[in-house]
Amino acid sequence: MDDFERELTRMMREGRAHTPFAPGHRARLYDGIRVRRRTRVLVRAGGSALAVAGLSVGLAFLPQLGSGPAPADLPLPATGSTAPPRSGGPTGTAEPSTSAPPTSSSDSSTPGGDSPVGTTEPATTDAGSTASGSASDTTESGTSEPGHDGTPTYPPPGG
Amino acid sequence: MQRFRADGFDEFVAARWSALLHVARLLTGGDRQRAEDLVQESLVKLWFAWPKVAEQAPEAYVRQVLVRLAARSARRRWWGERPVGELPDRPGPGDVSAAVAERSRLEAALALLTPRQRAAVVLRYYEDLPEGQVAQALGCPVGTARSHASRGVARLREILSDSARPVK
Repeated sequence: MDDFERELTRMMREGRAHTPFAPGHRARLYDGIRVRRRTRVLVRAGGSALAVAGLSVGLAFLPQLGSGPAPADLPLPATGSTAPPRSGGPTGTAEPSTSAPPTSSSDSSTPGGDSPVGTTEPATTDAGSTASGSASDTTESGTSEPGHDGTPTYPPPGG
Repeated sequence: MQRFRADGFDEFVAARWSALLHVARLLTGGDRQRAEDLVQESLVKLWFAWPKVAEQAPEAYVRQVLVRLAARSARRRWWGERPVGELPDRPGPGDVSAAVAERSRLEAALALLTPRQRAAVVLRYYEDLPEGQVAQALGCPVGTARSHASRGVARLREILSDSARPVK
């Protein structure tokens, strides 16, 4: 600490004047505390009201969100679900596909991709099987899936 | 409940009011009205934190709040603080006492520093706090606090160079 810094310290400390804590100061302080407390209560109440409003709006929209996307996924589950069981059925993936075509659509799409065998063919056969509901027909006409999509292709081979 | 909550608060305020007001006055560059407002606001905040800090370090808490409020209030435009080339309201030779003249000169010089430099200088040289506590009050690393203090002192040395001689 050099001379100037010592001088600075002295100047700061010598300029200090004693100011008593007057009743006016006290009244003003407690007025400030009262106002602040009131503001806090209001802010908390407002925050709670906002939270409740947000939750209720969210809950009101949730059911609509849940029912909306289900029908749109219908075609996808049918194609993917049947493919794994037909090709080799290494795992029990066939069960979910047959039991619940619409719901398993999203799940079956990934297993179908994993199967080593031609993924495109089984996918189409499943769609046909689920639509018709007869497993024997689908096994014979494993390649005739296109026939399900377009009827004119099937009749020519049959004669 | 309120009585229990504020137990010891009044005594603390009564004991520290004058010192806090002086620190606030240095932090605001001599603006007495603003200093009172800052002390008042800091004590209101202290009152709400009193149950937590009463047994620990209420003075450190209120000092930290005071420094941050002073820095924040200095950023407000309506306080009208603006740097000038010449020291404002320099006292005349015989119109005020020597002590008041010296204090006014110091406060006017402090007013020309940035808020953080001013806070660092006040905490370091008036409060005689170690660098770590200055940094804690400023909410910055120790190196930054040291830098603020040294730059503030350099600036004060420059400003007060012509009036650094003690006024008797």
